[in-house]
Amino acid sequence: MNRFQITRTGTYLTIQDWGRFHYQHLGVSPSGIMDQRIPRALAKVIPHHQNQFLEFAYVGPSLKVVQGAIKVSVGGQCNIFVQKNNNTQIEHAPYTSINLFEGDELTIHNTIDSVYGYIAFENGLGLESCLQSFATDTKAQIGSINRPLQIGDQFEVSKDVSSWELQSNEEVYVSKQTNFKVYPGPQMNYFSDEVLQTFVSSTFTITTQSDRMGLRLEGEPLKSHISHDILSEGILPGCIQVPSNGQPIVLMRDIPCTGGYPKIAIMASEDISKIAQLPPGTKITFDL
Amino acid sequence: MFFKGINHYGDLGLILDFGSDSSQQISQEVNAVYALLQDLDLPQLNIIPSFNKIVLAFQSGKDRNQAQDAIEHNLAKADLKKTQKDRIYWNIPACYEDSYALDRELIQATHGLSKEEVISKHTSTSYYAYYIGFMPGFPYLGDIDSSLITPRLATPRIQIPARSIGIAKEHTCVYPKVSPGGWNIIGQVPFDIFSLEHSRTSLFLPGDTVQFQSISEKEFLQIHSKHLAFDEIIKEFSK
Repeated sequence: MNRFQITRTGTYLTIQDWGRFHYQHLGVSPSGIMDQRIPRALAKVIPHHQNQFLEFAYVGPSLKVVQGAIKVSVGGQCNIFVQKNNNTQIEHAPYTSINLFEGDELTIHNTIDSVYGYIAFENGLGLESCLQSFATDTKAQIGSINRPLQIGDQFEVSKDVSSWELQSNEEVYVSKQTNFKVYPGPQMNYFSDEVLQTFVSSTFTITTQSDRMGLRLEGEPLKSHISHDILSEGILPGCIQVPSNGQPIVLMRDIPCTGGYPKIAIMASEDISKIAQLPPGTKITFDL
Repeated sequence: MFFKGINHYGDLGLILDFGSDSSQQISQEVNAVYALLQDLDLPQLNIIPSFNKIVLAFQSGKDRNQAQDAIEHNLAKADLKKTQKDRIYWNIPACYEDSYALDRELIQATHGLSKEEVISKHTSTSYYAYYIGFMPGFPYLGDIDSSLITPRLATPRIQIPARSIGIAKEHTCVYPKVSPGGWNIIGQVPFDIFSLEHSRTSLFLPGDTVQFQSISEKEFLQIHSKHLAFDEIIKEFSK
């Protein structure tokens, strides 16, 4: 038996996978990994990750092996240290495998110039799925663990690591793309040509009121000449909705399942991972 | 048919449009098409019905285009009457006493109704379950008696107690869990309506009929203390 314990949570430490599907008609959000590029790259280093990843935002966690040994890899732009049992400290690069033995403690510092980071574990985290997914939806309290992780949470990985050979993957460059080509939203006609011109010609700032549910943007208000209140309809990650204050919200992975604000545009699905990594204060532009 | 057509919804989605109005007839067609889509075994990640739209989500553009062809082909020749699923008629106990009915007096004052009139108007109508959304297991039911139609609260509540019954505009609902929200709260049901323990997951499903039945606080507490499982609720409170 191999066991480790969370000794520092950092911020917003949750379990995520590729998403919880087939339940949105019952009001259950898809959730899942915010920046899918990183776990995809980690999968080359840790092939048997069992789709059970830890996700953190801004500040990374610490975890300590209590029993046995585990093999992990960290993805994201962050500094990674291991405090060995013999009190030496070793720095590791992202996207390399890290062997952790009893007493070793892994600590991940802040994400640099980005938001999300991930840890993959060889043989996973020993979790059972909930509604066909391991992902934590903290708002609906659904998941293998239905809340953010806390200090003292322990994970048991029964299967031993079969190879301690070091693996690595060329680091994923987290591009600082800030201009996004978007698709027309179903209520694009709720906005006049003039407002649409403002949408594509002005700059929007990502505000601090942004999280796994959505990124709230601030810029020149986008006022509808029809209404900011529509009959609720299904929404997907990447939808850009505009409530009555005219400030757009880009919906992310923990979306509410239906929404009653007009959607001016929809982001390309692969851009959701990219925009997720832009910290508050970043200025972005859209192209229709 | 109210169905107007299929459009792309971003690069991985489709949206089926049933116009801009809302009515029980439109919703019946939406839910019949929803049942047809489920039977088609499309490579979809999610199908999300609402008042007058169905949104589908896919993993790839290829899946999306393949599904669009299949939907257009099958919808053209479908007999939607045959895709209607057997739905449950619910008789749901509800307590409208003061401690559970945070906004009942506001409703009474707004419409000049007595407590008994509000209760009798809310319990004498059988409601159609349009769809489930907003949060896990949250049913949009309607339409309520026109003399009860009330806008949402000007300032939404930060915390609505779990299992609360709300009304807003033409609709009534039950909050499955503690949640922020703006519906006017007029009562509470005595059991959970969302459960990970039962394959149904959500007690109410689109197309179900729900009628509430007023119970006393004593009866409410009695039923609540039993912590009924979905199977027991179905057995006791549906027909």
